[in-house]
Amino acid sequence: MMDFLAAAIRIATPLLLAALGGILSERAGVFAVGLEGMMLAGAFAAAVAAWATDSFLGGILAALAGGALVGVMVAVVVVRFRADNMVTGIAANILVVGLTSYLLRAAGRGGRPPSIHLTPLPDWPIPLLADIPVLGPLLFDHPPLTYLAAVGCVAMAFFLARTQTGLTLRATGENPEAVFASGGNPKLVRMLAVVACGGIAGLGGAVLTLQQVGTFTDGMTGGRGYLALASLIVGRWTPWGAALACLVFGAADAFGLRLQAFGVPASSYVLQMAPYVIALLVLATLGRATRLPAAIGRPMD
Amino acid sequence: MSLPSRIALAVALSLVCAALLIALSGHDPFSAFAAMAEGALGSPHQVGVALNKTTPYLLAGGGVALCFRAGVINIGAEGQIALGGCGTAATALAWPIEAPLPAILLALAGGALVGAAWAALAAAIHLGRQVHEVLVTLLLNFVALLLVQQALAGPLGEFGAGFLQSPRMPAAVWLPRAIPGLDAHPGFFVAVVVAAGLSFLLWRTRFGFAIRVAGASRPAAAYAGFSVARLTWGVMLLSGALAGLAGGIEVLGVQRRLIEGFSLGFGFKAVTVALLGALEPLAVVPAALFVGMLEAGALSMQRQVGVPSSLVAVIEGLTMLFVLAATVRRRAA
Repeated sequence: MMDFLAAAIRIATPLLLAALGGILSERAGVFAVGLEGMMLAGAFAAAVAAWATDSFLGGILAALAGGALVGVMVAVVVVRFRADNMVTGIAANILVVGLTSYLLRAAGRGGRPPSIHLTPLPDWPIPLLADIPVLGPLLFDHPPLTYLAAVGCVAMAFFLARTQTGLTLRATGENPEAVFASGGNPKLVRMLAVVACGGIAGLGGAVLTLQQVGTFTDGMTGGRGYLALASLIVGRWTPWGAALACLVFGAADAFGLRLQAFGVPASSYVLQMAPYVIALLVLATLGRATRLPAAIGRPMD
Repeated sequence: MSLPSRIALAVALSLVCAALLIALSGHDPFSAFAAMAEGALGSPHQVGVALNKTTPYLLAGGGVALCFRAGVINIGAEGQIALGGCGTAATALAWPIEAPLPAILLALAGGALVGAAWAALAAAIHLGRQVHEVLVTLLLNFVALLLVQQALAGPLGEFGAGFLQSPRMPAAVWLPRAIPGLDAHPGFFVAVVVAAGLSFLLWRTRFGFAIRVAGASRPAAAYAGFSVARLTWGVMLLSGALAGLAGGIEVLGVQRRLIEGFSLGFGFKAVTVALLGALEPLAVVPAALFVGMLEAGALSMQRQVGVPSSLVAVIEGLTMLFVLAATVRRRAA
């Protein structure tokens, strides 16, 4: 049971970071369909940089930069050129799949990718807290980026609800004209929100390469960006709601893995559908109840 | 600037970016592009390969274009194509018919039906529960791909093959290499006829008029008495059937069996060509040919010059972004 919950947390970590980024973007009024590409760019940049500089910090900074770069592309096309948010996000995702695959091979010799092997980040048990029975191993014995996701969740909740900038950002997603009328610059707010979204989602990608897998493979995010997008909607654009949704998806995935490990004769392909099917079921159940930020997807003149 | 020249500019910009990337990796862009052109057009056989690659993008892209025109952002072609191929393979294996023509038509109908059914599921969730269609279709893509894998791991799989594939299709359903000297199946011509049909539908019928009105303004469509829900059903079913047909033709014409991942990325390329064709069914034809030739040329570019073939996905993604940035004014109107 404890293993199961720990696995759920592990699977939820990259989703949560991406979802936190997506909340920034969507609360500012830009659909975050590009999360998949932002994560993949972050995963790629983290792996290559950590491998080249032999430092995890280098990998993490590169993940921020790589994700933010995708954010810049999306922001320019969506905010400056007022293109459709959804389709632009899809385009960015296609571009990143190709670009990371291309750059990886260009970095190797003879068109073959270099072999990148990183030692995954180890668990950092928090002194004293990790010794608490039951809860200690479950909550306080994780690798560093998992703590970062949890702290990020608290910070994002505080930022959105309690800071002036957070208020401006939310207002931009609800009524950008009012922000403009009161002297703000809604276009700039949206641009910055999308770029920040990219950086944070890039960290989500870094979780995969630096903390879980230890290398980069083509298209390794495998739809996690879309699940993160679903979880922030299911979580109604709040960090806590998104965190809960990510944990549910993580649990669904972990449950499937458990069943297989115990030799239950259920098909692995059917089990792998669980997170997507659950996401669809929850979205369909919430239905009309999910209230989008009022001005999401609507370009500013 | 006119719309065609804006799109030409977008394509040119993405090719310039691709050239820079090639130079960055230490190769000569001109010889890389030359190898690519050679690989796409250098011999009748290569032209045939390019036409075969174009076919599914054109079929599915036309349906996507119609959906986007109606303001329905259907990203579900990826799953619908895979399931369509699965439906075609299952039909051909379950009901073998000796005579080629009825066998092929029945198998393709099976694929189109499955594609349409999957699109119908998306439409039902989207319209019935007010969930955004992009999210529904994206999530259903993953479920569809896993369903195909499940089918191949179970009833459709070839025993002892070692990886996920079906047995070979019966010879009656193989699409003939019908174009003399080109080594291409007739799917491309079917796709062109379909594109012409979609163009007629869009510009000469009441349904097409409703699509154009709804795409311009939902309230205007409702005021004019068009049901946006029925319209959404219509374009979703049509594009699902076309995507399913695309998958079926790929299975019967190219692979001759159902193989896991046979259509990986096709649905997203369908979105690319729909945008590149400015959501105009007839203009999707050259757009799909462009992408088909890129794909056909990429492998020989990799072989001869050593530039990784994933450059093609870079060009496609960049082209989409540039086209999106360059054509907004028209799309908003």
